[in-house]
Amino acid sequence: MNAPPAAKQIGRSLPRLEARAKVTGRAEYTHTMRLPGMLSCKLLRSTVAHGRIKSIDVSEARKLPGVFGVYTGEDVKKVIPDPYYGPAFHDQPILALGKVHYVGEPVAAVLAEDPHVAEQAAQLIAADYEELPAVFDEVEAAENKTIVHEGLKPATTFADLKHLKGAKNTNCALDFKLRRGDADKAFAGAAQVFEHTFKTQKVLHLAFEPHASIADYKDDGVTIYSASQGPSFVRTEIARLLGWPENLVRIKVPYLGAGYGGKLYIKLEALALALSMLARRPVKVALTMDEVFYTITKHPSTFSIKTGVDKDGRIVARQCDVWWNGGAYADIGPRVTQKSGFTASGPYDIDNVSIDSYALYTNLPPAGALRGFGIPQLVWAYESHTDMIARALDRDPLDFRRQNLLRDGRPHATGTILKDVAIEKVLDTIAERMNWDAPFDRGSGTIRRGRGLAIGLKAVISPTTSVAIVNVSADGSVTVYCGTIDMGQGSDTAMAQMVGEVLNMQAESIRIVPRDTDVTPYDMGTLGSRSLFHMGHAVRLAAEEAKAKIAQLARDVGEPEGSNAPLRDLFVKKYGMQAGNIVGTGIYKPDYTPPDPATGQTPNATPFWMTAGAGAEIEVDTETGQLRVTRLVNVADVGTPINPKVVETQLSGAALMQLGFTLFEKMQIDGGQVTNASLADYKIPGIHDVPAAMENEAVEAYQSNGPFGAKGVGELATFGVSPAIANAIEDAVGVRLTELPLTPEAVFRGLRAKAGQPLEDE
Amino acid sequence: MKVEGEISVGAPRKEVFSRLSDAHFFASCIDGVSDLTEIDSTHYSALFATKIAYMRFNFKVNVEMSRIAPPSEIEAKVEGTPMGAVGRLTATATTQLGERDGQTDIRYAIDATLTGKLGSIGQPVLKAKAKEMEKQFAARLQAAFASGAESAP
Amino acid sequence: MTPFELIEPQSLKEAVALIDPDDPTVRPIAGGTALMLMMKAGVFQPSRLISLRKVDNDLSGIKAEGGALTIGALTPLAELEHSAEVAKYTPVIPRIMPRLSNVRVRNVATVGGALAHGDPHMDLPPVAMALAGRVRIVGAGGERELPVEDLLTGYYETALSPNELIASLTIPAQGKARAAYMKVTAGAADDWPALGVAVAVEAEGGRIGSARVVVSAATPKATRLASVEKLLAGANLDDKTLKAAGDAAAEEAEIIGDVRGSAAYKRELLRVTMGRALRAAAGARP
Repeated sequence: MNAPPAAKQIGRSLPRLEARAKVTGRAEYTHTMRLPGMLSCKLLRSTVAHGRIKSIDVSEARKLPGVFGVYTGEDVKKVIPDPYYGPAFHDQPILALGKVHYVGEPVAAVLAEDPHVAEQAAQLIAADYEELPAVFDEVEAAENKTIVHEGLKPATTFADLKHLKGAKNTNCALDFKLRRGDADKAFAGAAQVFEHTFKTQKVLHLAFEPHASIADYKDDGVTIYSASQGPSFVRTEIARLLGWPENLVRIKVPYLGAGYGGKLYIKLEALALALSMLARRPVKVALTMDEVFYTITKHPSTFSIKTGVDKDGRIVARQCDVWWNGGAYADIGPRVTQKSGFTASGPYDIDNVSIDSYALYTNLPPAGALRGFGIPQLVWAYESHTDMIARALDRDPLDFRRQNLLRDGRPHATGTILKDVAIEKVLDTIAERMNWDAPFDRGSGTIRRGRGLAIGLKAVISPTTSVAIVNVSADGSVTVYCGTIDMGQGSDTAMAQMVGEVLNMQAESIRIVPRDTDVTPYDMGTLGSRSLFHMGHAVRLAAEEAKAKIAQLARDVGEPEGSNAPLRDLFVKKYGMQAGNIVGTGIYKPDYTPPDPATGQTPNATPFWMTAGAGAEIEVDTETGQLRVTRLVNVADVGTPINPKVVETQLSGAALMQLGFTLFEKMQIDGGQVTNASLADYKIPGIHDVPAAMENEAVEAYQSNGPFGAKGVGELATFGVSPAIANAIEDAVGVRLTELPLTPEAVFRGLRAKAGQPLEDE
Repeated sequence: MKVEGEISVGAPRKEVFSRLSDAHFFASCIDGVSDLTEIDSTHYSALFATKIAYMRFNFKVNVEMSRIAPPSEIEAKVEGTPMGAVGRLTATATTQLGERDGQTDIRYAIDATLTGKLGSIGQPVLKAKAKEMEKQFAARLQAAFASGAESAP
Repeated sequence: MTPFELIEPQSLKEAVALIDPDDPTVRPIAGGTALMLMMKAGVFQPSRLISLRKVDNDLSGIKAEGGALTIGALTPLAELEHSAEVAKYTPVIPRIMPRLSNVRVRNVATVGGALAHGDPHMDLPPVAMALAGRVRIVGAGGERELPVEDLLTGYYETALSPNELIASLTIPAQGKARAAYMKVTAGAADDWPALGVAVAVEAEGGRIGSARVVVSAATPKATRLASVEKLLAGANLDDKTLKAAGDAAAEEAEIIGDVRGSAAYKRELLRVTMGRALRAAAGARP
């Protein structure tokens, strides 16, 4: 090759390749795209939480000048006879059929060239419902008194859901069990037993770009432009709904204005498809920010956790009961229930573990994946609980954790041996940065200071597959085809760095093509911190294959071993002109052993473990309950950082997102209605909310089966934030909060209760 | 949204009960209710108009007197739809009457839910509106009975 | 959002004439940050909006004259944040700006809008009220002036007739008065406040001459607290007075509970914050 040998690409803090296009407004997003002849869709949404549809009168809406058409679920059935979708259950109709299951569910759609006309017409549709009793709380839903869905319809994708096919009179969309040792016996023999219950609230992703999809249906194929984190899944599901082979379905994804798990699986794609089939024109469905509140959210949860310790403070048994509030449609909730559920006992070495994790239907907007896939809800509970035990035992919380920590080489509750997880190093680094052993200024007067820490463990979701292609053109330039969606996390940059490392090229010179399922090969989805590992391997393998083929080409054209001939010359020698390609492909799917359905035990639960934690220093104003986070330390094991700058911003970004979920974000719901469904009323952290001191560190670590020793980072810094702050509050003022968010009023009420003067409501 | 309160009026319980169970009298105590029409002895329809600053809201409502237990309890269920916007108003109002020295203590509780566009925003302003309406309701009720009543919301 | 007519008159007189006092679907619009939220939510569907953006320039800008600051109604909040005049005459105002919503809102939201909207969660009106601000109002029948406290009559309710517009806000120089505004949020720092307390105090040698005390956000409208002002007049600025002021405020204020806090909690917040605001004012530069 003629290029001077590139500097090492791994470990470069390279600015993101697409940054310039984005900050200059040149990057393309689905939300701002238009196609010739395109119609816009606006929706009528349900005003009851649970009800039978008695009638939908669209006549007034149809009469409005400029309206192209008005459609209901019955119309959808004319073009898609079985219009139900979902990754785990085929439970979600494209438009409501027969029943509505939550306030905000799409009931009818209006198409018009002018979206404002469509919106006006949607207000003229009159839907009449027979209201049914509704259930909103996950623990109440588990009692199965009010049933959300009359029968369960699992998709065929997941083997562990098959037994739920046709199940009736239940809201439970998965009951995952894990049994290790004999928890009952161990509790009976324990010196002390502690039991607490923790709750989390309903929050949502709030990506900058609301959901948007455009479908352009033709009889011989359909193209869907979509703000999606998983175009391969969308293609498969759209092909299934159409009864078509996948090669007639094309999904194109421009840049995403963030995703955080909210743009996975089918969101608006099936609706856009059905409407384009009915209208025979391209149709765009683009949500407003308030509609996002009715689309997908994070799981609220209730977690009852019980721990037995022996006389030396060793944890001998832990029992976990977790209820996940999945809302009206399962989405990926059953996977959250299992794949996160199995780590509910935390990063501790416990011989006797019992876990029951339940996915529940309720009459609320659906819940799915959100940056952490259920892990932040679990860590919140088990690390609050662990701290409470340490305090009750009069032990230093750090010391108590160290004593019980699950170390590399030891079996996790699943039976899988922990490997390549720098869990001790992460905990030690937090302690070191917090100066844990030094005396701590506890404040005085009405300002009391406290500190807390927490650490979490996650197993990456498995098994999943990624495929990549590296294409070397005859001028020596390189193009990468991979389905990982760059939604701001810098994956294109990281992929280019890995390919550049193999091919000895500058990452900046490598082009990553826009995602298009006609062009880019299969990828399971950009989710769960899996891409850097899985797609990283796929692009590495593809680049290595290309490299081997280049060497072969050099031999074919008679270049001596070790020749430095420019690549272009090799092609010219071979093809007589600048022509031809070298194509390398890579497929990566790690080994995996499914858990035993009765015990959750498996020797190989995951290809890699993720660990991260947080330390927080806070000040509590004892007169108002107001809280100030003065220092937030985020430490994670990311293996080898491919791009240290991006790693740092992923850590700080995740921590700040979780800080909002910890301190104030909450979807307020009254009778099933979200009452703060706008950015005017639902606030996320702003620049003034960033802790005065914020430190982010990736500890020195190496993932031995990872690409270049690396593994994922996107979710990590969400793990420890909530419990670290709750632990710091107890440390500061002796008030223990067990429900998120940790509002000033909750702290104040705790202070008053502790003083024997509970605040009485007016 | 829950609104609760208690007022005392200077009239015997029997009299208060009998007037309160008359839908026309009851409706006259609520600001903005018009066109009350009896469907049958326990079902009524009406129009309800309210205004918050420059914004005006009109609802078609159906009222069911779901429980009339003399001399102490009346429960009404209200269902309505806003005109010109997608939404739904549902409310259950319970009134309990207690006797004290020839006076009647009226305890009322309204549990209302507003769904659709109106419900998705502006909860603080709706709550403020509800509080204002509650005050007017209490004032009208007191004015309708003997004077000397006291308010303790 | 439904289609509507947008008119951009060149003068205030023209703007006033375009408003139909009997048609609530005709509204003036300045920065639009509040009105647009109502329109996007579909709770307000205008038939005609009268944009004030092109109205002659005496409605925008800050003038210091006659010992008072006159701020045109169309002046964006960001201009108050950065004006040397405002910093000199009413130093409390620039101090409240960084946490008043965000820079994008402050760049377009106007002083007149903040006052005319009547939302008790706004940060500027209680401060203007504590500083004895007055608004000049232009209507079909001529001009009039009102103290800010008489302008605000209820939640989203003002003393403005439908065809009256605020032309300017006049605030006397703080002079020796020291002022403070405490914004207490239950969430993000730039969220709507759960409670606002604005105070302006004239004191000499630890003895209070007079004080103007306003509570907002927790109440249906920004409200002066007469009992607190009375208690403070002539009192020594000591812990006992501050505590009594807090108790009197908690006693007098009409407080509404909502998602930002229960009424009981907000009352306790007011009890504490009142004393803090007074103390902050005492320590503030005049």
